[in-house]
Amino acid sequence: MRLFGIFLLLFLLLFSACQQSEQSDPIFELLDAESTGMDFTNSLKPTDSLNILEYLYFYNGGGVGAGDVNNDGWIDLYFVSNQGENKLYLNQGGFRFEDVTTEAGVAGKADWSAGVTMADVNGDGYLDIYVSNVSGYKGLKGHNELFINNQDGTFTESADDYGLAHQGFSTQAAFFDYDRDGDLDMYLLNHSVKSPEVFSPAVARHVADAKGDKLFRNEGGVFMDVTQESGIYSSLIGFGLGLSIADLNQDGWPDIYVSNDFTENDYLYINQQDGTFTEELEQRIQYTSRYAMGNVVADVNNDAFSEIITTDMLPKNPEIWRKSVVEDKKEVYDIKINYGYGHQYVRNTLQKNLGNGQFSDVSFYANTYASDWSWSPLIFDMDNDGWPDLHITNGIFKRPNDLDYVNYSTVNEETKDMNAKELQRYLINGLPTVKIPNLAMKNKGNFNFISQAEEWGLSQPSYSNGSAYADLNNDGQLDLVVNNTEQASFIYKNINPKKNAYLSLRLVEKGNNSFALGAKVKVKTKGQVFYRENFNTRGFQSAVPPMLYFGLGDAQKVDELEIVWPDGKVQILNNVEVNQQLTIKKEAKAPKMKLTVSAAQHFEIIDSPIAYKHEEDAFNDLNASYLMPRKYSTEGPALAIGDVNGDGLDDVFLGGAKKQSAELWIQSLEGSFNKKQNKSFEQLSISEDVAALFFDANGNGHLDLYVTSAGNEYKEGQLFTYDKLYINDGKGNFSFSPMALPQIGSHGKSVVAFDADNDGDLDLFVGANISHGNYGESPKPYLLINNGNGIFEDQTYQRLPNAKSLGMVNAAAVLDYNNDGHADLVLAGEWMPVTLLENDGKGNFSKAKVKGFEKSEGWWYSLALSDVNGDGKKDIIAGNLGWNTKLKASEDQPVQLYLNDFDNNGQKDPILFHFQAGQATPFATRNDLIAQVSAFKKLHKNYTAYAQLEGAEELFAGVNTEEMVKKEVYEFSSVVFLQQEDGSFQKITLPQEAQYAPIMNILAKDFDDDGNIDLLLAGNLYAFRNDYGRAAAKPFTLLKGKGNGQFSPTNDAYLNTHLTWGEYRHLGWLQGNGKPQVVATRNNQTPVWLKLK
Amino acid sequence: MQRYFLVVLAFIMLISACDQGVKEVKVDADVYHQTVEKLSEIIVHDIFSPPVASRIYAYPSIATYEVLASEQPKYLSLVGQVSELSALPEAKKEVSYELAALEAFIATGKALIFSEDQLDTFREKLYKELREGVNRKYFDASLAYGQEVAKHILAWADGDMYKQTRTYPKFTVKEDPTRWQPTPPGYFEAIEPHWNEIRTFVIDSANQFVPKPPTEYDLTPGSQFHSELMEVYEVRKKLTEEQKEIASFWDCNPYVMNVTGHLMAASKKITPGGHWIGITKIVSQKAGADFMKSAEAYALTSIALADAFISCWDEKYRSSLIRPETLINQHIDEEWLPLLQTPPFPEYTSGHSVISSAAAIALTHIYGDNFSFDDTTEEKYGLPMRSFNSFFEASEEAAISRLYGGIHYRPAIENGVIQGRALGKYVINKIQLKKDELSKK
Repeated sequence: MRLFGIFLLLFLLLFSACQQSEQSDPIFELLDAESTGMDFTNSLKPTDSLNILEYLYFYNGGGVGAGDVNNDGWIDLYFVSNQGENKLYLNQGGFRFEDVTTEAGVAGKADWSAGVTMADVNGDGYLDIYVSNVSGYKGLKGHNELFINNQDGTFTESADDYGLAHQGFSTQAAFFDYDRDGDLDMYLLNHSVKSPEVFSPAVARHVADAKGDKLFRNEGGVFMDVTQESGIYSSLIGFGLGLSIADLNQDGWPDIYVSNDFTENDYLYINQQDGTFTEELEQRIQYTSRYAMGNVVADVNNDAFSEIITTDMLPKNPEIWRKSVVEDKKEVYDIKINYGYGHQYVRNTLQKNLGNGQFSDVSFYANTYASDWSWSPLIFDMDNDGWPDLHITNGIFKRPNDLDYVNYSTVNEETKDMNAKELQRYLINGLPTVKIPNLAMKNKGNFNFISQAEEWGLSQPSYSNGSAYADLNNDGQLDLVVNNTEQASFIYKNINPKKNAYLSLRLVEKGNNSFALGAKVKVKTKGQVFYRENFNTRGFQSAVPPMLYFGLGDAQKVDELEIVWPDGKVQILNNVEVNQQLTIKKEAKAPKMKLTVSAAQHFEIIDSPIAYKHEEDAFNDLNASYLMPRKYSTEGPALAIGDVNGDGLDDVFLGGAKKQSAELWIQSLEGSFNKKQNKSFEQLSISEDVAALFFDANGNGHLDLYVTSAGNEYKEGQLFTYDKLYINDGKGNFSFSPMALPQIGSHGKSVVAFDADNDGDLDLFVGANISHGNYGESPKPYLLINNGNGIFEDQTYQRLPNAKSLGMVNAAAVLDYNNDGHADLVLAGEWMPVTLLENDGKGNFSKAKVKGFEKSEGWWYSLALSDVNGDGKKDIIAGNLGWNTKLKASEDQPVQLYLNDFDNNGQKDPILFHFQAGQATPFATRNDLIAQVSAFKKLHKNYTAYAQLEGAEELFAGVNTEEMVKKEVYEFSSVVFLQQEDGSFQKITLPQEAQYAPIMNILAKDFDDDGNIDLLLAGNLYAFRNDYGRAAAKPFTLLKGKGNGQFSPTNDAYLNTHLTWGEYRHLGWLQGNGKPQVVATRNNQTPVWLKLK
Repeated sequence: MQRYFLVVLAFIMLISACDQGVKEVKVDADVYHQTVEKLSEIIVHDIFSPPVASRIYAYPSIATYEVLASEQPKYLSLVGQVSELSALPEAKKEVSYELAALEAFIATGKALIFSEDQLDTFREKLYKELREGVNRKYFDASLAYGQEVAKHILAWADGDMYKQTRTYPKFTVKEDPTRWQPTPPGYFEAIEPHWNEIRTFVIDSANQFVPKPPTEYDLTPGSQFHSELMEVYEVRKKLTEEQKEIASFWDCNPYVMNVTGHLMAASKKITPGGHWIGITKIVSQKAGADFMKSAEAYALTSIALADAFISCWDEKYRSSLIRPETLINQHIDEEWLPLLQTPPFPEYTSGHSVISSAAAIALTHIYGDNFSFDDTTEEKYGLPMRSFNSFFEASEEAAISRLYGGIHYRPAIENGVIQGRALGKYVINKIQLKKDELSKK
């Protein structure tokens, strides 16, 4: 039965993999031990004193190190066995290997080994071997071992002599010259064995412990522990599982990336160039993997900046996903945040390097976020087409996160008479085992990946841990070696029939860093740049050869080869032949590297001239409406810009969160701003201001002010939800006008003023985006008709017959689309299409019969109107959720919402489905679902049954669904709707660079004075529940208009710095005496000001 | 499945075609005990929290009691004595009230738990035996009546705010240093923050028995609160073997999460209320109680338990006091672990103290004081028997066990006992199950 289950699972996996793959000849051939002479298996013998319950990393497996230890030109391999003998195999060419462990004396004496790396530690030109061990725990003896190469086929273990015989819980080491003094220093990655399940406050990372991570400085051949003075964290909350060295900020000095398991953040140490490091992860990276395992740093998109990839344990197979412990429950997530930890999610990340020291996770876009229980990520060009591909090892011999196991494994009848040891054995034996293939993804450029494990011959099921790539037969194609648990290791020979161009580099330096670890190389062919850094600790517990491999596609030759040596000297070779392995020696008189200057920029980020910071209150509506995908309690701040005192200079109104007063800032002639005191703002600070608008309500020529109150804390109609109208005396003194408005108690998200009924005054449309306690339902919008004196009447239902079913409106705009002189309305929001409401001229609105918005149901957040193709007709730019999210929607595979009071308790339960592997599956976990609707627990008796549910019908079988409402969304792209001659609209998808984050607001202007409308988009929405994850990948996107409705991406990274990162709400265009400025408001932050250059 | 059902149906029709057999079904008290015990097992399997479990015990126990009492002249119905229970339907055919009472228990229980199949299997096996030699129509009519009563009881249960409270806002963790926050290793959310909105059975309202407030939070060494905190910390260090046994015996945590790194496995035990339901069985058997008497004992005990949970939870979320484990980890010893896993709800008052005291009053009322018994309830969960000379002895041990377990300060225990006893006394005075009790008052 279990076998059958596994078979089925495999089938499913294959099936789902096939959907996104493409036909290809196999690229790899798995060689058997007989042909290679390599028969290494990492076998484990659990005992009563040492097993998964006694040592949490019992099944983490071993690493593999690759390097030419005898300098014969063939890459040799060192395999780590956790409990048995480690093995060194000499490569004899022709994929034949010889086990020389005993003669070489490198088996190791420690009771438990984990990682291996090779480096020429003593600078004699021969690679030495450093093995990271676990000792001093549960009777495990030994210490880390340094096998110094005697240059005669033998090694001498000399860790103690070098000061590197650390005793503790080591995972892996990396050799690099952090102080650039010409010799190799070492970072030692350790893991704690302290109970990770009891959280410590994050400040515990400052408490150094002898067992924590270590930095060693090489001082004349002896390594000194400089952990303390160098600023490296060395605490017991670090569960270090991944280590990479790279120059992440392009200053020429090597930096360090450490991925930590459990609650602790990952560490990004920036080299301060003075022997110290500062940990700057939270300034540069928005969130990381939760249970981060291995990591790799390498350029993925060939822009000469290195990305960071970390692995986690999110299952790729939807069925396994739903029956596994995955994302923290929201409460636990919040606790970790309160303890001071950063945002972390249970999934792989692919942190795109923006080139300015900032990173942005695009793993949802790239579809690399899930690869099951993963260990070693490697980036290397498997098919030499020029785009580095991704390989991730995965699998765990005993799978401890199976929810049925967690909840139903301790059968009392069977266990009641067992003693502690028997119970332990019983528990371990009961752990499920699922053997799955590793992940291999082909890089198609620009972060587009497709699964190719099956096609490329890499889909053998396994429990795989460490891995390394190397060119084992010197044919220029990279082979792959994987260390498996309880299974022969994999040697994959690259048999790619397509002979793409390649270049392999071996760098040689005089002195103690003979392999030039730390050198950076750019290979330039016609129009393309390929970038590699020569650091060899990669993936998980493993090391690749200290060489650089370039796949070059169809390049005929290398135009320029630029080597930046570890000391910063630059050496350039021109017209280098491809298809060769080149050994390059450092020239003595190479010049120093110069730092390059960035390209043209249209905006300048200036300091905010006003002392305002939005301060969000602690209320979180997800506590009350648990199944909503996101909060609606953080929608502010409101922004309005206009000249309120008639001096020709724009002034700024900023709303406050609950209990924060709104503020009005008056611009002076010099461009500075003065805060205008206003009693009414202070008195009404109890409400949460979300949208604001300056408009002339009473026709006296002065701008009055409308402000919506929202926040989803109170039910509609409660006092704090009433919107406000303030009347301007012409000098910027606003007074609250309590009788001007009916009681508008919706959670207003947008407001526009226009003359709806053609009577010469300004009426209002106010859109709301959440019905309190009833997510998914259409909240009431308001159509407010002005009597001419600034007194408004609610005529919504009289004039807007479909007001009750519009959707959750986030944005509204006024557009006379048919040029009949009557102002029509464009609306956009969540669970609704972009909607055009036609005005009959008397202020009655009905859905316009216009083509172009079919199947445009999406999660729209923003709208802008502009004639972007210069045809005299206004076009609609609409901001949507984007593509970089767990949810994907299309016409065939929509995201679905089922609204029903499943348990007849008077509250509608929103149940969201999305497609995974072709099947509509509930997004919520079984635990979350039954917490909301306990009736579901009766319908599927365990997690396995829940995981196997097919579609909504099966989930809802047996539940009363007579009044159930189903909604679907098909479109998550941010787009432009171009108005055509015939009045219909044509949808144009904005470029990929605009799809990395939800677009919260849009400014359409000709920023570069070329006559074409450009777009400035402000993005990010952190309000999502943690199982969706905060959308934080991109604050600003600047698109250049081509004048024909198309837009091209620009180098907008300069707008996205750690100072501007945030979740944006509004963009405003502010004019005064100088150049126009953009005011951009962020939730719970200061506004960002951009000045047009 | 359907075909199998048809075959069974045909078979049943065949054998019953002749409409023979006696019109009597005798249900032994032990059969009822087994049925209650089965319900307990399923409650453990399905992982119901202690307050929810107390609700699951109460309704079926009342259903059984009501059916039996309706034909016993000495006994009084609970209609009019517990909130909002209306008159039960009467049997329209000739039925076995004992069988109907059993069926009423099973049918009511089945609606309240999740793993229906487990109860179905038990029921089938049970009825196969009981059915032997009994007139088919008579037997089925008895079941039908039992189900009718269950339906009535469930309709009553439906109005107790349970389903509404499922989607009420969760307990919010705030920065207030005195306020409860989730505890390791599960860091579960606070369970049932709105349990005081559940309809009570006998007491007027959830806040009828408000204990005096907990000791004022004050971490100044020497303060009352600090000494109480330090007592929890110090007691842990010098626990005797017997104290450890006592703590474990009364742990009654339905969901203890054992975590090692990425490995998690829950061990599940009976709830505090379930433990007292188990004691009810043991002492009913020892007293040689028949079905009726046993049903009386279960009904009264489960009502006392259910109201005690409501009263206790009312206080828990009034004071929302932080657990000793959190404070000790924050201020005294980061590595400190209580002997028992801290359950996921605020500290004051101790649930076990309140509900055990109330249950002890109920059982003493029925079986008398100084009723000694061997408590084997926890043997199933690997914990050896403990013997007690009286219900109060047991309830006091249950109360103090929470200090040994490191999960409560002393006032939660002492004031919890006062709260539970007052509540228990009120319940036994308010409810009259036997007619002769009338004259006593």
